Amino acid sequence: MRTLLVWMAGGLASAALTPIALANGWNMPVGVTAVSRDIYSLHMIIFWICVVIGVIVFGAMFYSLFRYRHSRGAKAATFHEHTSVEVIWTAIPLLILVGMAVPATATLKNMYDTSEADLDIMVTGQQWRWRYEYLGEEVAFTSNLGTPREQISGADEKGEHYLLEVDEPLVLPVGQKVRLLLTSDDVIHSWWVPDLAVKQDAIPGFVNENWVRIEEPGIYRGQCAELCGKDHAFMPVVVEAVEQERFDEWLVERKEAAAQEAQGVDREWGMDELMERGEQVYGSVCASCHQPDGTGNPPAFPALAGNQALLDEPERHISTVIDGVSGSAMPAFRNTLNAVEIAAVVTYERNAWGNESGDSVQPSEIAELLEQDE
Amino acid sequence: MWQAIKSVLAAFLGVQKDARRREDFASNRPGTFIAAGLLMGVVFVVLVALVAVLAAR
Repeated sequence: MRTLLVWMAGGLASAALTPIALANGWNMPVGVTAVSRDIYSLHMIIFWICVVIGVIVFGAMFYSLFRYRHSRGAKAATFHEHTSVEVIWTAIPLLILVGMAVPATATLKNMYDTSEADLDIMVTGQQWRWRYEYLGEEVAFTSNLGTPREQISGADEKGEHYLLEVDEPLVLPVGQKVRLLLTSDDVIHSWWVPDLAVKQDAIPGFVNENWVRIEEPGIYRGQCAELCGKDHAFMPVVVEAVEQERFDEWLVERKEAAAQEAQGVDREWGMDELMERGEQVYGSVCASCHQPDGTGNPPAFPALAGNQALLDEPERHISTVIDGVSGSAMPAFRNTLNAVEIAAVVTYERNAWGNESGDSVQPSEIAELLEQDE
Repeated sequence: MWQAIKSVLAAFLGVQKDARRREDFASNRPGTFIAAGLLMGVVFVVLVALVAVLAAR
């Protein structure tokens, strides 16, 4: 009887702990999609099955240890086998496992069913940022870490969403089935957003598929979940789920901005606007390796400030940014940056931090180079 | 043969009576057991495949 009371107290304590665990973020999140809720309830069902088995098995063991102890004159049994008991303790775990496999398989099947999507998005991992392409919509952009460098170096207080904020989030409509096609340009990354119950590897040369149907508007944050190099911790994922109307507006805005940017290629750019744009681009894509002050981190990441070879050879400087340097950490930015951004960042690098070449590179020149090579 | 199949099924589950085990090992014809093992192995694989096909529908 006393043992039974102890068990009941244990059960009550665990039941009381569940909401506390949820409130403290110790447990996995319930999430905001049907799939994430399925996964959460599977997780909880299996957790409680484990708790019940654990209480029964350890309860029986400790009870036997105590009740049949040597000092009370207990004698060990000497029988050899008991076929029916052995069959029972083999069959029960078998049934439990099959019982757990049935709902788990149903959920897994649903997770893999990427058919009939309303919207397709190509997600490309790059060292160290994510690129999103809305297929069939002519909208594409890269999403870079938004946390200021001062917070990372410790010069400033860390913000609320430290290392979980980006310059441009992935915007998705709620209620729509969105198919994600994941791949990578360099090494293996993994696109992970706990609230959406998606953690999918992005592998160079492969396209993995996954899908989400978000039910509540909101901002959902995640990270790269596959160690991918120096700035693995600095390529977060931020998904902004909005109502369909808001999404359509956003898409139109993006398309207009892209059209305006395309027009910008043809006109003559002034030095000041190139420098301003270049500083912005440098900060989001170059500074993580070549440092905000251009001093680099030799030998892997050469200094750009005071780099005579760079100043002497503007053509090579441009081609390095466009095509990268094979065999080194320098990636090709041909598909990441557009002509305006490349022209601006090259101009910036040739005129910042005491580099006084006075060169300005026009977006139209870069556009020509990009077309030639294709 | 039937006895060999029963022993193979007991081996699948991992539980066997000691008396039955002695009986099996008294027999001098391992071929029967090997044949029964292969047969039941194939039956098991076909069963699993069938369940998978039904579940995937």
